[in-house]
Amino acid sequence: MRALTWIVVLTCFGSAAGSAQAAYDSDIASKLIALERVGKMQAWQNKDMKTLDTMFDDAFVYVDSQGRELSKSELIAYIQSFDSLQFIAEAMTVQLHGDTAIVTGLYRMKGTERKKAFARRGRFVDTWLYKNGQWVAIASLLTPDGN
Amino acid sequence: MTMVVAWFILGFAASLSASGQQMAEGGTAAGIRALEQAWTVGQSRHDSHALNLIFDNALVYVEYGKLVTKGEYLSRIKHESSQLDQIVMGPMTVRTFGSTAIVVGTYSEKRGRDKGLELKRWRFIDTWVYKKGGWVLVAASAVPVSK
Repeated sequence: MRALTWIVVLTCFGSAAGSAQAAYDSDIASKLIALERVGKMQAWQNKDMKTLDTMFDDAFVYVDSQGRELSKSELIAYIQSFDSLQFIAEAMTVQLHGDTAIVTGLYRMKGTERKKAFARRGRFVDTWLYKNGQWVAIASLLTPDGN
Repeated sequence: MTMVVAWFILGFAASLSASGQQMAEGGTAAGIRALEQAWTVGQSRHDSHALNLIFDNALVYVEYGKLVTKGEYLSRIKHESSQLDQIVMGPMTVRTFGSTAIVVGTYSEKRGRDKGLELKRWRFIDTWVYKKGGWVLVAASAVPVSK
C-alpha cells in the first residue's frame, strides 16, 4: 500500500513538473514571437535603431534572401537605407533547446529602396540566445519562398 | 561505409564529450567544422543512419524555402537517386556562445544534367547545440547566392 502511495505521489509530481515545464516553454515561445513582431514588424519599419541594437547580439549574423552576409552594423545600416519598409512575419513556430531557441516562419517584405519598389516573400529562420537575462538574436536567414 | 561514417561521428562526439565545456573555443570550432564535414560526407553517401546521429530530433531544416522535418530529410537522403554529383564546401566561420554554435559559410552543388553541368552556390547558417554530451544540429537553412 505504501509503495502504491509513493507511485501515485511520484506520478502526480512528475505530471505537475511536466505541466510546469510545458507552461514555462509556452511562455518563452510567446515572448519570442512577441520579440519577432516587435523586432521585425515595428523596429524595422520604424527604423528603431535602439531596439534593434538591444535585440541583436554584437556577434549577430544575417543572411538575406539574395545570399548576402551582413554583420549587425551592416544590417542596421541596410535597414536605414530603405525609403520605406513593411515587414510581416506569420505562421511562426518556436523550438526551444535550453537557452537557445529557433524561430521559423513566413515573411512578406515590401517597400522602396533608392526610390525603387520591391516585394519579397519567403521563410526565415532565426536563432535566439538567452544571454545576461534577456533573449538576443544571434543569427537570421531569409530564403525565398519554395512553395 | 555507413559504419565508417557512423564510427567517425561517434568517435568525434565522444572526444568532444570527454573534454566537454572545458574545451577551448578553438577546439570546439574545429569540432563543429568536422561535424559539418561529416554531414557532407554522410549526405553524399546517402547515409541516413550516420546523419541521424548528428541531427537533433526537433531539427528545423529549410531547403529551397521549404520547412522539412528530420524524418523527411533523412528519408529523402536515403532514397534519393539524385543527380547531385558533388558538394564542395567553401569557407565557413564558427561563432560559439557557450553551448551554442553558429556556423556561417558557403557551399557549391554540382549537378550533372543531360544538357550539361549545373553549378549552384549557397550560403548557409547552421545552429548547433551541446546536448547530452555531444553537439547536435538543431537548425539548418540555406539560400542561393545571387550572381
